[in-house]
Amino acid sequence: MKLYKKEGNIVQILSFPNETAEKSDYLLIEDADAGKALIAQVIDVQFASIPGVLEELLRSLPDGGEIMQGEDFDPLEIAPHITYIQDASLLICKIRATIENGENLSPTSAWLPSRSQSTIKKLSIPKLLKLARINGELPIVLGGTKDASLLTIDASSLDGRLNIITGKKETGKSHLSKLLISSLVGYKATVVVFDLNGEYLSLGMTADGKKNVLYDKIHILTPAQNFKVALKQLNLHVLLEILIHALHLPGTSAREFRRIWQSLKERNMLTLHDLGEAIRNWHCNQHVRDALFSRYYALVNSGFFTDNVAEATLLEECLFRAKEQGGAIIINLRNTSPIDRQIVVEYLLGKLVELLTSWKLKAVFLFAEEAHLYLRETYWDDIVTRMRHFGIFTTFITNQPDTIRENIYRQADNIFLFNFTNEHDLEVVSRAARVDAETVKSIARDLPPHHCLVLGKVVKDFPIVVKVRALDVKTMGETRLFFKDLN
Amino acid sequence: MIEQYTITTTPKYNFPQKPIETALPQRLLELSIHSLRHIQNQQIQLTPQAVAQNGKIDAQLQVPSLNLKPTIIQIKPKTQETLVAAIDTSSIKIGETKTGILIAIRGATIWKQNKRYRYIRLGPFIFHITEENKTEVYNALQRAYLGQQSIQNHQYTPNMTQMPTRLATLLERWLQLATAKTMTNSLILLDGSLTAGTPDTPANVMREILENARKTGNAVLAFSKMTTMRLNGNLITEALPNFAPPFLLELSGLRAKPPLISFGNIYVARLSNGNCAFRLDIDRELPSQEKVEAVEKLVGNDLLVQGYPETLRLAHILCTFTANEVIAMQHFITRRYGLKIINRPDMHKLLFGPFGKGEANT
Repeated sequence: MKLYKKEGNIVQILSFPNETAEKSDYLLIEDADAGKALIAQVIDVQFASIPGVLEELLRSLPDGGEIMQGEDFDPLEIAPHITYIQDASLLICKIRATIENGENLSPTSAWLPSRSQSTIKKLSIPKLLKLARINGELPIVLGGTKDASLLTIDASSLDGRLNIITGKKETGKSHLSKLLISSLVGYKATVVVFDLNGEYLSLGMTADGKKNVLYDKIHILTPAQNFKVALKQLNLHVLLEILIHALHLPGTSAREFRRIWQSLKERNMLTLHDLGEAIRNWHCNQHVRDALFSRYYALVNSGFFTDNVAEATLLEECLFRAKEQGGAIIINLRNTSPIDRQIVVEYLLGKLVELLTSWKLKAVFLFAEEAHLYLRETYWDDIVTRMRHFGIFTTFITNQPDTIRENIYRQADNIFLFNFTNEHDLEVVSRAARVDAETVKSIARDLPPHHCLVLGKVVKDFPIVVKVRALDVKTMGETRLFFKDLN
Repeated sequence: MIEQYTITTTPKYNFPQKPIETALPQRLLELSIHSLRHIQNQQIQLTPQAVAQNGKIDAQLQVPSLNLKPTIIQIKPKTQETLVAAIDTSSIKIGETKTGILIAIRGATIWKQNKRYRYIRLGPFIFHITEENKTEVYNALQRAYLGQQSIQNHQYTPNMTQMPTRLATLLERWLQLATAKTMTNSLILLDGSLTAGTPDTPANVMREILENARKTGNAVLAFSKMTTMRLNGNLITEALPNFAPPFLLELSGLRAKPPLISFGNIYVARLSNGNCAFRLDIDRELPSQEKVEAVEKLVGNDLLVQGYPETLRLAHILCTFTANEVIAMQHFITRRYGLKIINRPDMHKLLFGPFGKGEANT
């Protein structure tokens, strides 16, 4: 391989057919005289612009587009040399770092290695991980890299971070989420999962349906079934959030509701029945009453609210148990209507903030699948800014990257990117601050299923492609198929 | 005496089948390897690739401008299936060493049979030519091709700069002779003219090619892409009558100055629409009717783009060296013979900066 060109932090390297380098491979460009080396990643492989190639191709097909038949008497055997030159490739590489004195890494690309004297060789992933010190005391094995080594990240690099797992359908996003959740729970972390399709319900079961080591740490809460809330437990502030944001209660009506609530609370009458009666008998405008009644019935019909306090203790119990020994609270939103979903999420986020503010909980890892389906607009900013300080560390999982707002990408610390072929999707993801657009667009487009481009702090900003390892967990959330049983 | 191709008979045509006869290629190969052996571990200065490879011009034929009245011959395409073959060679200088130059030559024979083009391509043969070995190389090849008698006159040994074209011409004449001997009732298209008597084309060689062609019922037609011949003060290919193509313009009464001998009757051929016309030499010994018939068969059997036969165009294309091939040959000799590529400064650029156009273009 030969160094051909450097423009900004892009280097072009001429590679010959016997030197195999592919997209996402790392190369070490060593300048012995300078005592420095560049670490560069191949982001694209192109044909080298060899003069005369077009003529060569054109003259091989003059016979009506078919290859012309003939004999070549080539006694010096020049033909293999022609092929060798023709098949030369140009590796477009992004400079990721500079190594000085063989070990000090810095993210600079400000120097120019010698074109004639530099040696270029492939940098194996284990060596890169060692140089970048991507290891730690809480290892999570994500899977295998191309050179058959394991990619191990540190669980603490997810701590306090905002993560995004994205890719098109059936590429392995949920599988990776399960792997991260299992690993975090293994390290006694508290994890809350908004499970839209019931995919995480069997996280405590092995593939053959037996209990696994996490079985006792997986708590499944299904709204209106084993997950209910009593009005007496509710903070007015949380309920108003639900009414205003989930049920779109106008401001005037919200003010009346606040008065009703305070009146009932003073009389220790915070029950669903008394609330209904209070709205009926409250002296107010008829339109306000109607508005309050419609929201009241929405709350009642959700089945999520109860007057029985004993029925409404499971969430806190689970959270406290998870705090002690680690655990995942799976909020099963599979059969929940969109409005009820929003009620549940509003309640849960309010509750988490309440528990975290009062230091009853230390921190929570929140996994939110397709969050745009239940998260209100204003919560996005809240989650990445305010809630992070309370200790809610979110991982968004989506196959529609444009449903996540741009500022979330800009602030994301880690991105686990699966295959995307759609230019628009890639364009959206490439806005992430921790990676350059060329890398995202070029590498993500060619990722096979179950292969993930890991970007961000977990890999110390060295994008690495990994084949996510298999997990012995019962698969749930499979698509129901019409033709499945017909064969 | 040169051996012939090994041939097998086909129902319609007799044409070279593999393995082809290799007397000359074998000698070319031996001399190529022999000449390259002496350059181990030398330095090589690469030559800019913009070097004319196979441009031929009929400059040898010095014909005074005459006021002749050419005859127009209308051509009626004959579609009677006739094999059309064409031969061309090319040479290129690929570098310089301390003691000489590195050159490559290649030749191609193309033929159109059953509406399909086929080819045999010989080379590239790479030579290291020095002042010391140029005579030996040239004479050895002449001996292999022309026989002992042809090398008596040492004044024919070309100088270094002429060597690439001279070696290519030797290969070309050998290919032409081999084709003339092995084909029957076909049209053989040559690049250039049928003028002989020059150092690289002795009259006896051209005579032998044409005689062998006639013996087996072939007609030899030579197309010149460029000509310096003038008629009534104008280039013969530019002063055309207002007549619908295809047609020939016969220039009778022209005579070459000794020692040059023209073995062909000279025509201006405008064989298809478009502005291109070419000097066409047709074997003088063919009866007049057969000459015209040969052109009619050519028009009826081969594709003519801008009035130029496709078979001949393909022969040119296949033997021409592309830049990629030049790099590959340089790669071959540096790998095989351990040559070190050096970059001598271009004195024109060094002295004149942006006003120096480089040696290749001066």
